[in-house]
Amino acid sequence: MTLELTPEETRVPVVEAPRPVRNLAIGTGSCAVLCLLLGLGAGDSGRSSLRLNSPGDYVSIPLITVPTTLTAIVLAVLVAAVTAYLVARRPAGRVRALCTWFAVVAVILAFLLWAASGDPNAQLDAVGLLQATIFLAVPIVLGAMAGTVSERSGIVNVAIEGQMLGAAFLAALVGTVAHSLVAGTIAGVVAGVLVGALLGTFAIRYQVNQVVLGVVINLLVLGLTTYLYSRLLQQDSAGLNQPGTVQPLTIPVLSRIPIIGPVLFEANLLVYLAVVVVVVLNLMLFRSRWGLRTRAVGEHPRAADTLGINVTRLRFRNSLLAGGIAGLAGAYVSIGSVGGFGINMTAGRGFIALAAVIFGRWTPLGAMGAAILFAFTSALNTALSFIGTPLSIPSQILGSLPYLVTLLVVAGVVGRSQSPAADGVPYSGR
Amino acid sequence: MRSSLKIVAGVAVAGLALAGCGSKPTDTAGSGASATAAGAKVKACIVLDTGGVDDKSFNQSAWQGMQDAAKKDPALEVSYIQSQGNSDYEPNLTNSVKNGCKAIVSVGFNLADATKKVAMANPTVPFAIVDSGSNAPNVYGMKFETAQSGFQAGYLAAGLTKTGKVGTFGGTLLPQAVTDYMDGYLDGVNYYNQQKGKTVQVLGWNGKTGTAVSPDPSKGFNDKGTGRSITQQMFRAGADVIFPVAGASGEGALTEAEAQGGKLTIFWVDFPGCTFYPQDCPNIATSVLKGIPDRIGAFLEGVKSGKPLTGTFDGTLANGGTGIDGFNQFDAKIPADLKSEIATIKTKIISGEIKPATPGRG
Repeated sequence: MTLELTPEETRVPVVEAPRPVRNLAIGTGSCAVLCLLLGLGAGDSGRSSLRLNSPGDYVSIPLITVPTTLTAIVLAVLVAAVTAYLVARRPAGRVRALCTWFAVVAVILAFLLWAASGDPNAQLDAVGLLQATIFLAVPIVLGAMAGTVSERSGIVNVAIEGQMLGAAFLAALVGTVAHSLVAGTIAGVVAGVLVGALLGTFAIRYQVNQVVLGVVINLLVLGLTTYLYSRLLQQDSAGLNQPGTVQPLTIPVLSRIPIIGPVLFEANLLVYLAVVVVVVLNLMLFRSRWGLRTRAVGEHPRAADTLGINVTRLRFRNSLLAGGIAGLAGAYVSIGSVGGFGINMTAGRGFIALAAVIFGRWTPLGAMGAAILFAFTSALNTALSFIGTPLSIPSQILGSLPYLVTLLVVAGVVGRSQSPAADGVPYSGR
Repeated sequence: MRSSLKIVAGVAVAGLALAGCGSKPTDTAGSGASATAAGAKVKACIVLDTGGVDDKSFNQSAWQGMQDAAKKDPALEVSYIQSQGNSDYEPNLTNSVKNGCKAIVSVGFNLADATKKVAMANPTVPFAIVDSGSNAPNVYGMKFETAQSGFQAGYLAAGLTKTGKVGTFGGTLLPQAVTDYMDGYLDGVNYYNQQKGKTVQVLGWNGKTGTAVSPDPSKGFNDKGTGRSITQQMFRAGADVIFPVAGASGEGALTEAEAQGGKLTIFWVDFPGCTFYPQDCPNIATSVLKGIPDRIGAFLEGVKSGKPLTGTFDGTLANGGTGIDGFNQFDAKIPADLKSEIATIKTKIISGEIKPATPGRG
């Protein structure tokens, strides 16, 4: 017997722990204070310039220059107002999320204004910053999608890093040998699915502790790819490790719209594919029968089982699907962005993706937002080194910015987030 | 449940074993034909830092030097051990002594303390260390004044730029191996400005803070994606000559230069870039070299002849320990005036008239 309810009837809201509004208000309140401090600590020039135009735009936007302190104080007041609203009205759900995001964006904006206020000639290139953000975000976004699928079905996926690394390797190898980047991308997805199958088999069939399993798989893939790289790819780089790079696909007309054109419509096919994955996944997870079942299996597998859902089979299939998506991320890391494999080249992106899943509260759109935020801080690190910030920030601290933001965001703004109830719990039927 | 534990344990062991195989092979590059002639072989070992044998930087350079020496002298048997972290340095060196290595090379400033300790404990074994001065009687130190060659590169970059902006970034901002180059580069650009009354600007390094691929040394030299992203941002900000001091992460800069189709020029670091990346040679104007292979060859030769080198080698433009490579495909694009100025700068640095950055000022 199968579950025959239509999706509309059964759209169960995500089970969320009732968070006290107080904690959130403390978070946004400190955001307001931070905006104020950044405004008061503005550099000598007292104004900040933001460059928004790119060569080839239809309309050339003039350089935007604003007084730093005043703008930051306005931002602080707005965030304070939002905080007051949160305390007074205690909104829930979407409105609350919107308030949180508003506070985060305001702090980032205040920080940018502060950073650009030191040198009177400094211009912060907003479009370049966003372009770099997209470039860096794609593997993290896709990795986070893999994490969301798998965790929503009740399997903790620490192995995203390994799935990505394996895929990056196979994509580069097959892409070179077959002289086809399409074949390379497919090979990457296959590699991801294989590692996903490994995870699924041990997690579901043998009920191994999933966190330990994920760590072991990451080690296995790192060892395997490093070994094969030094024995094969390194020996014959021209014949085995020069797949080329997926070329950017510039969409005519759209790409010449100021700001969003160069950011969104000059990317390569894998970037567009990533957007499609996020949108489709978000729809499927909350509007389709598959999504309902997946969430049921992740929240309460026994209930799902009594309604006739084959829990182990669905979990295994979703594990393969997650592997495939992580494989796409891996393909982007090698052939999608730099055209070649290198030892441990995913460099921790899989773990950042895992953090994005949690920050995004196990929803595709939320995880995407978090992934973009992490990529943004990484891009910002570079952009800030071009303009002299009022306080000379040591590069080591700048470089650790993404990790710092991860920590603050997960601990502070998200607070206690509720994972799917059966996440990481093996299901053994009767 | 118990059987499943066994399975996962098996996978774990396999994983660790493979991880070990991947990064710690003991390659034998010497000829195996005369291996039976006991005593004829001299074992030379190298302990690498975390970057590994393929880091496109000093580890690879040093291993290259070992292999070159073994090719020249079949009686040398060379092998390497890669360190996974700084707790590995001392055990790796001690094990090398125990395994009968007759000459041991440590790669990188990070290994200085461990090398001193093990060398003191084994006064009869000759040691050498890359990027550090001698710190024990039986340790041969090699330092390279890469600020001198970086200075020449900076001057060349300032002379080549059409936009008035040049860039540089590091894998991580380590002194010696990375920031010395960048300090020299910055000074070279400033010297050009001073001589010509120009205002060429350096993006990514101001002598104190700058752009690094990652704060983590085990990742900073292996992250091509971030390397490319940094290059893209620099290019967009106007830099048309970029000098990545980032090992394999710099390959991302080469990919971006290829995508820009000739509008972006790269200077390679440590190695002759055109030799290792022939397909990218059209975008590599020159390479800023560090004579590690050469020095390791000299050290091994000394050990073979029974007179191991000691003291500290200070690689400069004067003794060829560092310098810039030829201009390859850029030869015709670089004006003769600029070439002769670069040559003059070399003489002036050697004579002491120009003093590039004092190392470690950051």
